[in-house]
Amino acid sequence: MTRNGRTMFLRIFRCCPVAVAGLVLASPALAHEQAGVGGGLMSGLLHPLTGIDHLIAMVAVGIWGAQLGAPAIWVLPITFPLVMGLGGVLGVLRVPLPVPEVMVALSAFVLGIAVAMRLRLPFVSAAAIVAVFAVFHGHAHGSELPGSADPLAFGVGFVASTGLLHLCGIAIGRLTRWPAGERLIQGLGAGIALLGGYFLAQSLGAVA
Amino acid sequence: MNMTFRRGSIAAAMLLAQANSADAHIVGARLGDFYAGALHPLTNLQDLILWGAMGLLAGSHGAAKGRWLVVVFPLGLLAGLMLGRSFGIVSTAPTADAAMTLVLGLLLASAIRMPIAQLCALAFALAAIRGAANATDLGPETDRALFAAGLTCAGYVVITLIMALALAFRGTETTASITWRQITLRAFGGWIAAIGLMMVGFGLAS
Repeated sequence: MTRNGRTMFLRIFRCCPVAVAGLVLASPALAHEQAGVGGGLMSGLLHPLTGIDHLIAMVAVGIWGAQLGAPAIWVLPITFPLVMGLGGVLGVLRVPLPVPEVMVALSAFVLGIAVAMRLRLPFVSAAAIVAVFAVFHGHAHGSELPGSADPLAFGVGFVASTGLLHLCGIAIGRLTRWPAGERLIQGLGAGIALLGGYFLAQSLGAVA
Repeated sequence: MNMTFRRGSIAAAMLLAQANSADAHIVGARLGDFYAGALHPLTNLQDLILWGAMGLLAGSHGAAKGRWLVVVFPLGLLAGLMLGRSFGIVSTAPTADAAMTLVLGLLLASAIRMPIAQLCALAFALAAIRGAANATDLGPETDRALFAAGLTCAGYVVITLIMALALAFRGTETTASITWRQITLRAFGGWIAAIGLMMVGFGLAS
């Protein structure tokens, strides 16, 4: 054996106890464990984020609220979760709603147009539109709740996640203070409407 | 150098020889039941939500009204624990817990001003119910006094801290206008109410 070979052998030999100890002491990583409170919370937090149609609609709600100003900007974050909770109860109780996927996609489309066109509806009309869509979004989340790892943690997760998406939308909507920001937001609204239109066409079977 | 090394070695050997066990883990000194009582509610999401909601509600009412809960809430936990143990009430129905969450959330979201007596009665009732529910961990070998002390201390710490946080966040009501801080607290109420509402539905469905 050459000198280099012996050195290499010694190095490998010295590493062996560490490797053996590592193997013996190894425990499963459980990195993708969706169990218990942690699993329920994680799936609840991710549920509104992983559906793009849900995500853009919730952000659009926040932006539109910011565009409408008071009282919409402060009534929205207080009442929306409650109305969504009503939809969630319908989902938990397995009460069927007509064409839920179409309505979720339609919500992104309509809210995107409202943002893009700076639609200034009376507060009651705007609240009624948002409330109808909130019920359908809540229904979609609520129907997943009974099958989750921990229903309470799932509920906490998706309510918090939805509320934070609204907050993002309101924060983006504050750009309306500047003319360039206003144009940017209208462009964003148009993008949301386009995506919503795509999801709407997809849910109606018009595109694959 | 050698002399210094020798002296150092002797000093180290003497220190090692005189070392005693640290007894840092006083669980073995019969204080484990105290920690069991303190940690039992903190490892339960239902307790965390309800206690948190109660602390936020008390904080939203201001220091003058909220400070009563620093005493009332831990006493309610203690009373509930004792009643739960005496009458064999081991846990509340999930729907009842969810309904309490809904009520607390609605009270916080609507920003209804409650009189001190009502606020204290609500806090006492909630604490008593949760205290009774926490009696489930009382085994025959559990030191009840230590468990009760732990639970009461946890209640005192949690309610005081959350109330203080809410008070500091909310600030003083210098103007009649609605500030974004108050809206944030009320939005939390909306979240809590929504969770309670869905859990009521879940309780009815299951």
